[in-house]
Amino acid sequence: MARFFIRRLLSLVPTLFIIVTLSFFLIRVAPGGPFNRERDLPEAILQNILARYHMDEPLLKQYTRYMGDVIRWDFGPSLRYRDRSVNEMIDTTLPVSAALGLTALSLAVILGVNVGILSALKQNKWPDYAAMSVAVVGISIPLFVVGPILQLIFAIWLKWLPPGQWISDHGLKALILPAVTLSFPYFAYIARLSRASVLEVLRSDYIRTARAKGLKESVVIVKHVIKGALLPVVTFLGPALSGIVTGSVVVESVFVVPGLGRPFVQAAINRDYTLIMGEVIVYALLLIMANLVVDLIYGLLDPRISYK
Amino acid sequence: MSITDKNDDAVNEFNQYVKPVSLWADAWRRLRRNRMAVLSLWVVGFYILIALSAPLLQSAGILHSYTEQIIDHQNLRPSFRPSGELVIELLEARILQLEENLASREKEEGSSYNMATGFDFAPAADIVFDDDVDGGEEPLAAEEEPEEDETNYSPTYADSVVEELERSKSEVEALRNAIHSDPQHSKVYILGTDDLGRDMLARAIYGGRISIMIGIVGTLTAVLIGILIGSISGYVGGATDNFLMRFVDIMYSLPYMLIVIIIMSIAGNKGRGSIIILFIAIALISWLTIARVVRGQIISLKNSEFVEAARSMGASTPRIIFRHLLPNTLGVIIVFSTLLMPSFIMQESFLSFLGLGVSAPQASWGTLVSEGVRGMELRAWQLFVPAISMTVFLFCMNFLGDGLRDALDPQSKNRG
Repeated sequence: MARFFIRRLLSLVPTLFIIVTLSFFLIRVAPGGPFNRERDLPEAILQNILARYHMDEPLLKQYTRYMGDVIRWDFGPSLRYRDRSVNEMIDTTLPVSAALGLTALSLAVILGVNVGILSALKQNKWPDYAAMSVAVVGISIPLFVVGPILQLIFAIWLKWLPPGQWISDHGLKALILPAVTLSFPYFAYIARLSRASVLEVLRSDYIRTARAKGLKESVVIVKHVIKGALLPVVTFLGPALSGIVTGSVVVESVFVVPGLGRPFVQAAINRDYTLIMGEVIVYALLLIMANLVVDLIYGLLDPRISYK
Repeated sequence: MSITDKNDDAVNEFNQYVKPVSLWADAWRRLRRNRMAVLSLWVVGFYILIALSAPLLQSAGILHSYTEQIIDHQNLRPSFRPSGELVIELLEARILQLEENLASREKEEGSSYNMATGFDFAPAADIVFDDDVDGGEEPLAAEEEPEEDETNYSPTYADSVVEELERSKSEVEALRNAIHSDPQHSKVYILGTDDLGRDMLARAIYGGRISIMIGIVGTLTAVLIGILIGSISGYVGGATDNFLMRFVDIMYSLPYMLIVIIIMSIAGNKGRGSIIILFIAIALISWLTIARVVRGQIISLKNSEFVEAARSMGASTPRIIFRHLLPNTLGVIIVFSTLLMPSFIMQESFLSFLGLGVSAPQASWGTLVSEGVRGMELRAWQLFVPAISMTVFLFCMNFLGDGLRDALDPQSKNRG
């Protein structure tokens, strides 16, 4: 187990290396830069600015310099927001995004698994149909439609919840709408997934054995069915996490949440090289670490899988 | 060497001829039993038909132009009545509101003069302004005088209200005269108009055209690349397989959407070119899953007898792959493509929503939704029209995909 963990941890290095290199050159190959404004700057001023950010050096030298900085976890100054370093911006926005993402993920998993189990146990009765209709809707409606519609209904028409912004402005109530929006598609998917796998497990031999032994139905469900049925859900956690990370970009812009997502989109539009790079690295690290954790949980849950 | 005219007649145990049931006929029968899937098929067909015939409908005069901006027709609500009447209604509502405003203001002024202005900042602005005047400010401050002069404020405001009232009244008059002569005002906007006076129905249809086109082209590209890479990798095996699959693994671990956002931010917002770049950016990474699936299928099939037979008859590798192996994986590929298409449409709309996708004058469903969000408090239809038309399509595509999966792959484990 420990060896597997270390090996997986080491395999992060080349992936991250590729991500940083790829995005570094992708961004710089394109014509136009962060200092292209509607009005051209005088040549001397432009040269000065470029020199300040070391952008007058040859590309390879810039690359090695940047790599050296990244290893020391220093993403440099933002090119558009003067006097702010990328590290500062990430430090202030990351906790917000993490809180939102984790709430959404736990909502999706807890509700999804429970609804899935319930509708499998009531297969082809009305709770099943109701739950699965909601689930199909959840898979088909894009986040950026769910978000504004929920906002319109609950914040603007009913005025129950704040229409946007964050805990610092409105308390925990501000978390509800963004987290529900973000978790909805993954809730739907997890509900469908766990329903299907519970149905399959219910048909398997070891459940018949458990029932034949005379175990109470509740014990059969809790101790045997659920444990077996949760595995596919755990495998889905990886894709769900990456979806939640990218989805949070949209949800944050709909609900004006001061998270990582909004500066990322702004940076992409403004060509703020250092900010884009820093955000990409943070996002990539998050995703890769999340997948690693999912793999580990999988190993813990399923005794048939061993990491050697 | 061909055996095309082999005898296909099957015989049952009573020596009666049996009509052979092909995989496809069988699947079609199963699909038809699935009511939702059939309904979805009809709806998807309808969408595609409308999308294809949109230019025809427009030239036939059934559909309004999706780019034509009529300033008079801004923000009309969905209705079957001619637009001229709606505009008059809107203006009359405005007049009524202005008159009420004026009346309540007069009443307030009668009771307490100081409360006349409803603005919170007014007293503070007053003090600051007086200081400025006493200090002998630059002409810049003097220029602002008519607007911020507190003592004259409420009369000028009332004047402006009266002025607008007059203007609205004369507009209504002009409209009443023009309504029968100007064909523009007899236009009917079933789904209302947007904030530039463009027909929402036409915009939703044209947005759908772009979205569906991106879905189809992206799916085709992804499927083609995926089939090519997957079949080569699966059939050839060995070092080639290893190399290709490691490449796929690395691509998988990249944060896909982030890379697409970067590509779009670099190349986007250059008019027509952005759609092509969007295609490339989306298709570039989406073939990965298809490649893996095809590879798995081919590996499981490549040692079967029919492949051995083909090989012993001297068939070349491409022939074996394309004539013998791929037709057997077609079911899985079709299922994946129908489920891939809605995800493409979602991704494209996601980018357009963030302002990184299709750029004006073109618009996709994502663009329309993001435009609708801006005014949704007062004009909910501008959000709901594109949102519902998009959701219905995605909904049906997902149902169709599920139905096809059940029909083509009855043993599928991930049915949900």
